[in-house]
Amino acid sequence: MSLVADELIRFSSVLRIAYNFLTGRDYLKKKKFREKKKLISVALPFSDLVYAFPDLIPVFPIRMHEFKIHKYLTYLGSASNIFGWNRVSNFLGFVKDLGIKDISQTVDNIIEDVIETINEKYNEMFDLGIESGLSSDFCYGIKSLYGMHVSKGKNCDANLNYTIRCSAWNKYLESIDAIGNPSKQIWIDIPPRNIGNALELFVDNISKALNELGKISNYDYNSNELRNHFRTANHIRQVYKKIIYEISTANFYPCNPATFSEILALLNISFHDYNSNANRFEKNISSLLMEMNGRIRNKIGMDVLKMPKILITPMFGGWEPKTHDIIYELGGRVLYGDWDLLLFLEDIPISNRTDPIEAYAQYLMNINSNGIGCDNNILTDSYLRLAKNLKVDGLVFVQVFGCHSISNCYTILKEKIRRELEIPSIALNFNKMGENIEQIKTRLGAFMEMFN
Amino acid sequence: MDNIELLSDYADFLREKKKEGKRIVAFISHDNIPEELLDAAGFIPLRLIFAGNDDLMDASHDYLPPSTCAFAQSCIGLFSIKPDQYRFLDLIDFFIVSNHCVSDICASEIISRYFNVQRIDFYISYTQNENSLKYFRLEITNLIKQLEEIQGNSINREVLLHSIKKYNNFKKILKKINELQIKGSIKLKLLQKAMLFGPELMSELEENYANLNIVVNGSLENSKDILLTGCSIFFNDYLIDLIEESGGNVTFFDSWIGFNYYSQVIDDDLINSSEDPIDLLTIRFKNNIYGDHTVPNFLENRITLIKNYYNEHQAKIGKPIGVINHIIKFCDHMSIMSTHLKNRLQLEGIQVLNLERDYSRANRGQLATRIDAFLEMM
Repeated sequence: MSLVADELIRFSSVLRIAYNFLTGRDYLKKKKFREKKKLISVALPFSDLVYAFPDLIPVFPIRMHEFKIHKYLTYLGSASNIFGWNRVSNFLGFVKDLGIKDISQTVDNIIEDVIETINEKYNEMFDLGIESGLSSDFCYGIKSLYGMHVSKGKNCDANLNYTIRCSAWNKYLESIDAIGNPSKQIWIDIPPRNIGNALELFVDNISKALNELGKISNYDYNSNELRNHFRTANHIRQVYKKIIYEISTANFYPCNPATFSEILALLNISFHDYNSNANRFEKNISSLLMEMNGRIRNKIGMDVLKMPKILITPMFGGWEPKTHDIIYELGGRVLYGDWDLLLFLEDIPISNRTDPIEAYAQYLMNINSNGIGCDNNILTDSYLRLAKNLKVDGLVFVQVFGCHSISNCYTILKEKIRRELEIPSIALNFNKMGENIEQIKTRLGAFMEMFN
Repeated sequence: MDNIELLSDYADFLREKKKEGKRIVAFISHDNIPEELLDAAGFIPLRLIFAGNDDLMDASHDYLPPSTCAFAQSCIGLFSIKPDQYRFLDLIDFFIVSNHCVSDICASEIISRYFNVQRIDFYISYTQNENSLKYFRLEITNLIKQLEEIQGNSINREVLLHSIKKYNNFKKILKKINELQIKGSIKLKLLQKAMLFGPELMSELEENYANLNIVVNGSLENSKDILLTGCSIFFNDYLIDLIEESGGNVTFFDSWIGFNYYSQVIDDDLINSSEDPIDLLTIRFKNNIYGDHTVPNFLENRITLIKNYYNEHQAKIGKPIGVINHIIKFCDHMSIMSTHLKNRLQLEGIQVLNLERDYSRANRGQLATRIDAFLEMM
């Protein structure tokens, strides 16, 4: 019996987000071939500029793949076009409550498939990255991204490349060109530090990238279009933060904690490109928050007061998705908040800036200076800040094999946690999803005993 | 002069400088650090160009995971263990934390934090365009300010110009040494020594050049010529011996220790006509197109450089040349492009060996076998 299936079907918004993620290929094909729109590849939550042009579609490349979708989810997708997602979700809940075994099992499978199919595809891309000549010494994220570009990069008209402090990331971006896909490389250099007039230079770098995007688009850059998108993007961020800060820190959850972790993981993946449609994503994430609040008001869900809050981070570059199930079984609840940790969930300051480009430059500069940071001192402060803000009881640090940037600072972090937070922490090594699950169980077993 | 003796001389050299009241600034990041500025401000630049071993790498695992660049691991290990011949590291006053690569940032930060060396920050953009040049100027101005605050006096423009000229001439003699038809190991030793001692070694290098220029080394006729690209062969590394024992001879070092350093020469006319020495340092950064730090043209530039050298070498010497792409394990910059580099060069008929390794002793036999096989194939 799935830990999550019973719960997820109650959230039609989650089904919608999952469906939009998994059916990205069909959606993108329609956009590209029927509507003659152009695909721009992005990774990490750097998709916002693409929305300045109505005929450009940002895409996190894994979404160009065909996913194994449970046939019933496909039917649900079709049914939702006629009846609406809420009705479909209510119907599923009704069927589930009837306890008809076969149908009930099907519903479980639908939801399990969503999470598993995404992870299987990640692993497939990881293998493809290595088969294509990438050294196995790189981190999970880089290997998977490389695999995505080898397999589907040719469908994109351009790649929007932001330089960050991770040298493997920057070189991976350069290597996309060497793969031989015809897509154009558009570079945006984020100055390493905010000194002197660095922000001004950054604004110019962004303007030049918009100019390059404009050459691909049939539209000229329109600041109102970008400003409108930023309003949408800010609303998404505000709602996302409410889910992280208000719902996940509460004593009563709208679902069981394993389900809640699955939802946070799904949001994390979808946030890269807003599933290629920011307005749709805004509606879905807003509904999600409403559904959660509604359930909490009606006391539908689970009392989690006595369950220790465990922050697992970083997970965006690869982590073992079974971890939150294991921790739930051991009596804890897992929170994911990487994008907030790195300050991607801060507002793009359009209200106090007349030029949206300046606002975006300021937003990214803040991420670079105070979130990701140019060194591990700042980065570890970010981990600490999130742990403090969420008032977590413990921290699981994911030490990704081959990561030299975001997840190799445990020594400094451990020292700071001991000094400033005084909560238990543990580092788990990660190479590939599904590897060493037994070892993870053993280590987490020992870790969770500290909370008994 | 063997390595222990050289390190002992270097330790004496640093002690002497300390007695003169100079302070020592060390750094891992070899590319784009304005050593002329450090020199003009009265500091002694100390490049960490020392190869590692098992003990050094193991010692770093208290601070960084083992899946970190073996060179960065070894740099941390040097500070953690401080082997006898490296006791001079105690003399270091400041450490530059820079972003040549992310392992440079992390290792430098750890050395500064855990071994109590005051840090100086200096960061470089990852791209090379008009705005990154402007950003470079900002960092240079910031660095000048930091150095002046430390020293308590301002850096004189004339003194800085003098330092720029001094380093420029120093690089020119290194370039000439590299063009000599001598054994690669001799060349490498001279390059390594020069990059440790800096322009103070100028007269010795000139003397060496004059002496070596008249030596006709007949034994090289039978050796197989190699262009070494990728990561540097650092001080105390056995790799150059393995290549020579297998019958190879490195004629060109396309690495930090080698071409990447001495190619960063500024035109004399520009120096003489320049009003602002910061302009000169910026020009040097602009011209440094073969460095591995920047994107997106690193691979293309490197391929062009190697192809040009290959063609020139064949025309001049009449012998083919093989390429060894030296990749220190977990090096982000060299590793990710290695397959592309090899495929592209092989399409041009240039034979390439991607040689990945760390500093463990156990690797030696395997490396020797691979080099043997490659040279045999040539």
